[in-house]
Parts: sequence; C-alpha cells; structure tokens
Amino acid sequence: MAKVQLSLGEKTFIIHGVQDGLRTDGRSCDAFRPMELECGVVSNTSGSSRLRLSNTEILVGVKAEMGKPRPTRPNEGYLEFFIDLSANASPEFEGRGGEELATEIANTLTLTYDLKNVLDYQALCVLPQQCCWVVYVDVVVLECGGNLFDAIGIAVKAALYNTRIPKVKVQVDSEGQEEIEVSDDPHDVVLLDTCNMPVLVTVSKIGQQHVVDATLEEEACCLACIVMAVNAKGALVGMEKKGSSSLTMDSIQDMITTGKKVGMNLNSNLSSVLQEIGRDASSSGFLS
Amino acid sequence: MPGDFKRIPCPQETFQPQLYCKSSTKKQLLQENGKRADNRSLDEIRPIFLKAGVVSQARGSAYIEACNTKVICAVYGPHEVQRREGFSMQGSLRCEFKYATFSCPGRRQHQTDSEEKQMGLVIAQALQPAICLHKFPKSQLDIFVTVLQNDGSAFAAALTCASVAVADAGIEMYDVVIGCSLRQAGETTSVLDPTITEDFYSRSVDGDASNHGSVTAAYLPSLNQLSAIQQTGEIEPEVAAKCLQKCIEGSVRIFPVVSQCLIKATKRKAQKSQQTAKKDDV
Amino acid sequence: MATYIRPARKRKCSKTIQEPKRLVTPGDVITSDTDFMRGHGTYMEEDKLHASVAGVVETVNKLICVKPLKTRYNGEVGDVVIGRITEVGQKRWKVDTNSRLNSALMLSAVNLPGGELRRRSAEDELLMREYLAEGDLISAEVQSVFSDGALSIHTRSLKYGKLGQGVLVTVSPSLIKRRKTHFHNLTCGASIILGNNGYVWISPMAGAEEEEGGGFIQNLEPVLLSDREVMTRLKNCIVGLAEYRMMLYDTSILYTYEASLKYTLEELLKPELMEEVVEDTRRRLEQET
Repeated sequence: MAKVQLSLGEKTFIIHGVQDGLRTDGRSCDAFRPMELECGVVSNTSGSSRLRLSNTEILVGVKAEMGKPRPTRPNEGYLEFFIDLSANASPEFEGRGGEELATEIANTLTLTYDLKNVLDYQALCVLPQQCCWVVYVDVVVLECGGNLFDAIGIAVKAALYNTRIPKVKVQVDSEGQEEIEVSDDPHDVVLLDTCNMPVLVTVSKIGQQHVVDATLEEEACCLACIVMAVNAKGALVGMEKKGSSSLTMDSIQDMITTGKKVGMNLNSNLSSVLQEIGRDASSSGFLS
Repeated sequence: MPGDFKRIPCPQETFQPQLYCKSSTKKQLLQENGKRADNRSLDEIRPIFLKAGVVSQARGSAYIEACNTKVICAVYGPHEVQRREGFSMQGSLRCEFKYATFSCPGRRQHQTDSEEKQMGLVIAQALQPAICLHKFPKSQLDIFVTVLQNDGSAFAAALTCASVAVADAGIEMYDVVIGCSLRQAGETTSVLDPTITEDFYSRSVDGDASNHGSVTAAYLPSLNQLSAIQQTGEIEPEVAAKCLQKCIEGSVRIFPVVSQCLIKATKRKAQKSQQTAKKDDV
Repeated sequence: MATYIRPARKRKCSKTIQEPKRLVTPGDVITSDTDFMRGHGTYMEEDKLHASVAGVVETVNKLICVKPLKTRYNGEVGDVVIGRITEVGQKRWKVDTNSRLNSALMLSAVNLPGGELRRRSAEDELLMREYLAEGDLISAEVQSVFSDGALSIHTRSLKYGKLGQGVLVTVSPSLIKRRKTHFHNLTCGASIILGNNGYVWISPMAGAEEEEGGGFIQNLEPVLLSDREVMTRLKNCIVGLAEYRMMLYDTSILYTYEASLKYTLEELLKPELMEEVVEDTRRRLEQET
C-alpha cells in the first residue's frame, strides 16, 4: 500500500488519540469519512460507479460478456474481478508494484461474492454447458488515501446495482440447433439483485483500540487489521486477518462486533443512496 | 488462468474426468451414529506425524502428515535482501506456497496462481509475530511450502509445518504457530480438521446456506493470540467467534506434537554432534 | 453517524467568489513593453514577456512575476521550513522539504545535546540515527541554496529542531503568507508552525521543560483530550482553508477556528459546512481590510 513515513511523535499522537476516541480528523473510532457516490459514469460499460472517500477514489466498470460456463458449474454464470492499482494513484504502483495488493483485493472479492446467497448465478446462465454471462468487474484505483478494501467493496456493489445485462432468448431452429438472440432494446434488460451483496469493512487495531476507515497515517500506525465482508443481515461472508501482528481472542471479538455494526449501517445507507440515485442513472459530470 | 504453453506442452484446457460422472447421491457430512465418514467425532483431529529436518541441505525443514494431507516445507536464510527498499532494522519474511500439480483432485497449474500467492502472503504474515525479526536486520528469510497431497486442511497443516521448519532452522522465535481448520455446517454443527470431502465449497450446500462456511486460524500457544484468520462462507459473527474458539482448542491439542517433534529433532542433532566429536577424539 | 454517503448529483458547485486580478496560462504574452524586468514564471521571446506557468501576474515596480497557485517549494535563505528525514548519510541528513531536490541538513548545522559549542566527534557521526532517524520531522531554517536549487538547512537555534507530538498538514507552498514569524502560539490553545514550504505543524502548547536535552528528547505523554480537540479542529480548519485556496496566516486560521466553533468536530467533516465556515471567514477578513 502507498506508504507514508511517520515520526514517533506523530504515531504517538495518533495512537493516544484513538485511545481517547478522537482521531486526528475529528472522527470517532467507528465513523467513516464522508463519501461521494456516482453511478453510470462510463457509457461503454454495462454498469459503472465512482466512489470518492476523502482522498481515495475508485472507478468501477462492469462489462457483461458471453462465455462458456466453468466445467465445475455448468449451469451458472460467474463474476471475474480485476483490480488495477494505477500508477496515477501512487508512483509505487508503477509496473508490477501494485500487483500483490491487487491480487489480494481481487481474491477477497472473489471469495466473498462466490456464494450462492450473494447472487443468483443460475440466472446468469444462458445455455447449460455452452453459454453463460461472464460479468467482468474491473476496478481502477485513481487515488489512494487509505482504506482501499472498503472503498472498493462499496464501489463494486454500486456498480453491480447499476449493471444492465441484455435479455437473451434461446430459440431452437428447424434442425434442432439452439440459437441465441440478444435483445437490442436498451430497456429490455436484466438487473442484478444486490440486496444480499456484502460490503467490506476493515477494522484496524491501533494501540489498544480499533478504528474503521483508517487514513493512510493511521494505517502506518496499525499492526493488524481484520477485513470483514458483511451482508445486510449482519452475517460475515468472509473474514481475513491482515498485518504483521497477532491479536487476542477478546480484541478479535470486539472487532467483529464493531465490524458487524458498521457493516450493517453501511449496507443500509448504501442501499438507500443507491435507490435515490436509481438504476439507470447517467453521468452528471465525471471527476469534476 | 492460462498456463505457460511454451514451456509445458499440454492441451489448452483439460478437465478432471469425475466431472463427467453422472452425479451420485450427495454424501452426508455425518453418519447416522453422529460420527464422520472416517469414524471421527466432530471435534476430533486426525493423527499427525510431524518430523523436522527432512531436507538435509536447507537451513531448516519439516514434514507434516495428517492422514492423507501431506505438506513439506523448507527454510533458507536469513540472507542479504536482494532488492532492498528503504532502511529497516527488521528482517523480512518471504513465503512461497505451492500445491504440487498432482496434489489436488483436479490437476493444478505449474505456475503459482493467485490463490497460492495469497496463501504465501498469509503464511508470512502469520509467522511474523512469532519470529524475532529484529534479530536479523536487513536480511531475509525464505520459506517454501509445498503441499504434496491435499486431503483437506492443507493450509492449516502448512502453517504448522512452516513454523516447525523455521524453529528447526534455529531462528529465534517468541512462539510457534499452529494452524487449525474448521468447517461450520449449520448453526450448531461444526467439524474440526475437515477432510477434502468435508471441506466447504460455496456450492456444496443445499437449501439455506447461512452459517455454512469454513474457518482457518493460526494460533500462538504461549502468547495466546491469533496471527491469522481466514473465513469463507456465510457465518454469523457470534458463530464465527465460537468457530475461532474451537480452532484454538484444536490447536492446543496439536501443540504437544509440535513441541515433541522439535525436542526429538534437537536430540538427534545433539547425538550427531556427539558422535562427530567422538570421531574427532579417535 | 457512522457512515455518510452522498450521491454526486447532490454536490453543489461552489460559486466563484471573486475573480483574481490577472490570470495567465503558459505562453500568454504578459507585456510587449521592454521596460519591465523578467521575474519568476516568465520568459522572454521576440522582445515579448511570456508567462511560463499558469497563475496570477504580480508586478513589483518594474519586476513582473507570475505566481503559480500550485507549485513545489522554491527555497529562499531565511525561510522557516518543516521537513521529514528521508535518509541518514555521511555527516548529513537528507530531508524532504516539498522542494524539487532533497535538502541537506549537515551534522555541523544542528545543535547537539550538551551545549552549542561542542565539537563534533566521530562518535556523533555514528550516533546520527539516534538523534534523527528516517521519518522524523524537524523544523529548520534555510541556510543557503546550492546552485542546483537544493537547500541546505540548519537548526542552530533553540526554536528549531526535532518535532514531538502533533499533526502535519500539507498544503501548497503558495498558500503560506510570508510573515515576520511563522511560529504561533494561538490563543485557542495550540501552537502551529507555518513552514514556508507548505508543511504546517500543529502541536500542543509547548511547556517550558521541553527545551532541555537539545530538543532531541520527545515528550510522549498522552496529550490532554481538550488540547487534542483544539488541535483537531485547527487541523480541519487549515485543511478547509487550503481547499478553498485561502492564504494561511495566524489571523485567517484563528478566524476560521472561531467560525467553526458553532459546529461539532464531526459535523465539520461534511464539505458543505466547511465551505460555509470558510465563507464566513472570508467575509470577516474582507471587512477588516
């Protein structure tokens, strides 16, 4: 991750602040920075979103293409995640610099979305064993100001909400051959049900306390964090510990409780904002 | 994931033949008498064989076998870091995790895939709090883990194996790391140390999929802390905490095996050095 | 409020309050009058004076400069700067001061513990990392500028030296107003250092006892919650001022602080409210001039 160097004094100040429940930007430990969300920003995609979380900026483009179902699941479509940590965000990501972090994020997303509760994958299948929708979710990180996982999680969910997949008809011709016909009516589309999709919440342990939505400076003070994928019901659909330090069972329990609370709040806020924006939102001005 | 076709001649895509079997009846997780398919009870771990010092040329090495799950690990270093970035008074860890191509039911690619990369990263992070990294500044320790046969819980076995190998290399450590896996099946049922048929797959659940999933944890017994947590599937937070607790209990049972193995390895080394000392005298 | 998401549509376009006097873009002809002298940010071609950066034209008597709004720091002798140690080298520290090149802090240009006139021994050279390590922050003064533009800085005064607990805010150097002093103990209960290089340091009010030990001993006692609230508010005010491109100096910061007091710290995070606070400050400053 884009690293910032901090002096001992700055670190001490941040750690004591977290202890007192007042972070350097005035937030309490369980508060997110204000976010700005936009859907339908790229016209060439099936769905897209842009999320700005203070200094972190994420652009997600979803493209639905047709492919062959995986042999292990012949009657399901699937999602493919790709994260591009562009060198725009930080010179550190140049070349293969961001690759490790990018695979880490993509793996987390793949694991959390690959559950049958999350999305009706069978609806993405057109012809068993022959043809299905492959939904490519491509994430570009334009700016990195801490808390990449959570920001990407929110942006991905928003982009999938915005995604419109054309309706497909399968017809059998006179010789018994199946023929696929894709509707070209822009309103004749399938929308994805996002209500069971999770958001990611990173709870970072700083000193004796833990915070959500850590800034870059706070990330530099944090030795261990837990990334949780929380769905609207408050259940965990994935959890990973990251960082170089170990955690006691008590603090893990506290962190999970915080993660659940914040995750549910985030989910309900996000779905109400998404409803406000609407399914077929078009761009109101990109990056301005 | 495309393979490297220039180096390895093989067809573009192949599938394991089992996929074409007409699917037989789904296996139940538990038998009627409440035991698992291999006659273990719910929280029984498989017997473990653990040996340190199996790769003679490595600084440290270990081999773990839990029935059909077999993992080997070698440690090289610490040595000077090749590409140094910035100044640090701490040593660094690098871990490469690899499934042997034949280790799983389906053939795996020869190249490290993203899952393996991720596992390597997690193992390095799990071992970091256990190793006195400040004792070897500016240098790097390489850990190579190969899964020879995967019959479930390979990752947990890899964690244990890697920590024994590091200890065998004579690296100063605060604690050993013990991995343990658990499969949650429904709110109340959980099986410890699952085999590959018991393991959680995202599509292996019929009906309500909530509270189905798997948890792997790495436990430091002396510090009484967890250094790695991996959870997949949908589990309620309260249940997840219980799962972690059970993983800790499982790890505590593995701990004596680890310490005995290390004591044995040390004894062997001591005997050898005595023998050589005697030869020198003669 | 744990989370707050705003649809981008709802964002208000901030109104342009007042157009700066004369804006130019690179290549624009500023004047064809040859009487003027060429300053920073300009070049001569065919007897005409062109701008080389986008910014505001400033004329001092016969000298014409173009001041860019966003720039890296160009050091001048006597400037107060805040820097972060990036490298410990032979008899010198490399310091990041937001300028093009890393600045150099010579071992001979710092006060070492044990008196100002102490000789520097070989031992001191070995102990350099004990005094200042990578990542440490210092306040310093620009001693000289090398021919390539790199700065040599010194901390040979008790007011300079290693910085203890506090927060660093980074703004554009052009937003820092040049004043007689850049060290301020604000009446609201915190002290700030406005580095000419755009680094602003906010710290709790300095106690008298911290002056000992040559400034290399840091006080790592927890800061009082009340002091912390003041510092946090100050930080948010400075970030807000910088976002709306207002000059930073003691009065503007203090006025913003006062205007912000009607909101809680959490409310202040919302961009709309911050804009209002900055707008209030702007009005108050304009009234006074």
